[in-house]
Amino acid sequence: MVLTFLEPFIHFKYLLTQLTSRELKARYKQSFIGYAWVILNPLAQLAVYSFVFSMVFKSPSADVPYPVFLFVGLLPWTLFYNSIAQATQSLVQNASLLKKVAFPREIIPYSVIISKLVDFFFSFLVFFGFIFVFKIQLESSAWIFFPLLLLQTAFTIGLSLILSAANLFYRDIQYLVNLVLMLWMYLTPVMYPLSMVPKKYWWVYQLNPMVGIIDGYRSALFGYDLRWELIGWSALISLLMFVIGFVLFKKAEKAFSDVV
Amino acid sequence: MNHNVIEFTNVIKVYPLQTERTAKELLLNLFSNLSKSRTLTIFNNLNFSIKNGETVGVIGKNGAGKSTIMKLIAGVTFPTKGKVVVQKKVAPLIELGAGFHHELTGYENIFLNAAILGMHKKEIDLVIEKIIEFSELQEFMDVPVKKYSTGMYMRLAFSIAVHTNADILIIDEVLAVGDDAFQKKCLNKLKEIKKDQQKTIIFVSHDEKAVKSFCDRAILLDKGKLVFDGDPDEAFTRYHKLSEPANPPQ
Repeated sequence: MVLTFLEPFIHFKYLLTQLTSRELKARYKQSFIGYAWVILNPLAQLAVYSFVFSMVFKSPSADVPYPVFLFVGLLPWTLFYNSIAQATQSLVQNASLLKKVAFPREIIPYSVIISKLVDFFFSFLVFFGFIFVFKIQLESSAWIFFPLLLLQTAFTIGLSLILSAANLFYRDIQYLVNLVLMLWMYLTPVMYPLSMVPKKYWWVYQLNPMVGIIDGYRSALFGYDLRWELIGWSALISLLMFVIGFVLFKKAEKAFSDVV
Repeated sequence: MNHNVIEFTNVIKVYPLQTERTAKELLLNLFSNLSKSRTLTIFNNLNFSIKNGETVGVIGKNGAGKSTIMKLIAGVTFPTKGKVVVQKKVAPLIELGAGFHHELTGYENIFLNAAILGMHKKEIDLVIEKIIEFSELQEFMDVPVKKYSTGMYMRLAFSIAVHTNADILIIDEVLAVGDDAFQKKCLNKLKEIKKDQQKTIIFVSHDEKAVKSFCDRAILLDKGKLVFDGDPDEAFTRYHKLSEPANPPQ
């Protein structure tokens, strides 16, 4: 199974690269500002959400300015949202390819996820601008950001594999996914701090594996105490999702071209 | 040299027909007597083999199972029962819209399409000049392929497929598009490949002249059965007999 997992990254490396660059290049063709959308989009969201949540709702943001606080939650969430939403549709969109050429099918959702990661790193560059403007001191625990991102990616891959395959059988999945993702954001501490959630709901609230991850990013960058029990739970669910997603996908794969 | 590269042994292929795909249909079916799981049998015990270096035409009416054979050879679908053994790398000619991205340029699409056909960067670099030259699209390489005509599109696709390093080529109705001159060029290229005896070519076509002039052998399919396997001239004689309705329509 481990060898099967590595196959796309060894034998099909060039195909994976090509499909990823297709995702990246084709998206903003025939657009005036092109790839700048990747930065403009989160900035616009940040501006509006910052106004609504810090001025209107007066959401606390610990001891960092609200836009910075929001940025660290919103960008990884956008990565999660875009990856899942597009990966879910990716196999259906490439149906004609599935019917013609044989290659490990997971390469298609992978290429979507990798291209979203590239977008993420570019849009995150703005964060350094924020640090400069708001004179934020990054803490030494900031490196934990990367293992957390790895967990998020594992979770994203597992979930995307299941959803993209299921969407081949029933197209309801893609509509359901958009709805669920939208609601999911409100149940994750993206726009408000975890501390605002009443303690009596925590037992059910923290079952959401994205809670530990999003809260973890902030704690890591701003030097708050890391809630290891939440992160541990997220790690467990992420790895399980990854393994289960991959195994199920590989089992269903042979039937793909017969159902599209 | 003359070993089998493709072997079909007792192949049975049954497609599930998803009749109850939506909740609405499911509810309706609960109240009617429609059978719950309908299936469609494409092949019931299909046997044949193809040797290395052969050029084989696959002919038959619509629905005879030609594209299912191609899918089984390409490895995108699998037999319900029986065995399909394909020993070498297969390059199917990719139909319009599948392996190309319409927003990308012709040049970018060559790399994308060739990668889909299983090639690596270095291998593509070796043949990129030949691909462009053969396609006769030199001036249009930096143009997004959405501006291409159907013929130009197919010229590029054909050119990539014949220049891949795959050992088995599947040519699927390609000569139906493109003008006479290019059709002739394609056929000549295929004949050149045939002379080398390195590649196996499977040619799916209704074009009688092309199959007769090019293939050593033809397989005639009718309703999922292999009814003839041998000389292309004979195959077409039988094919025409099939087309004459046994029971004239009322």
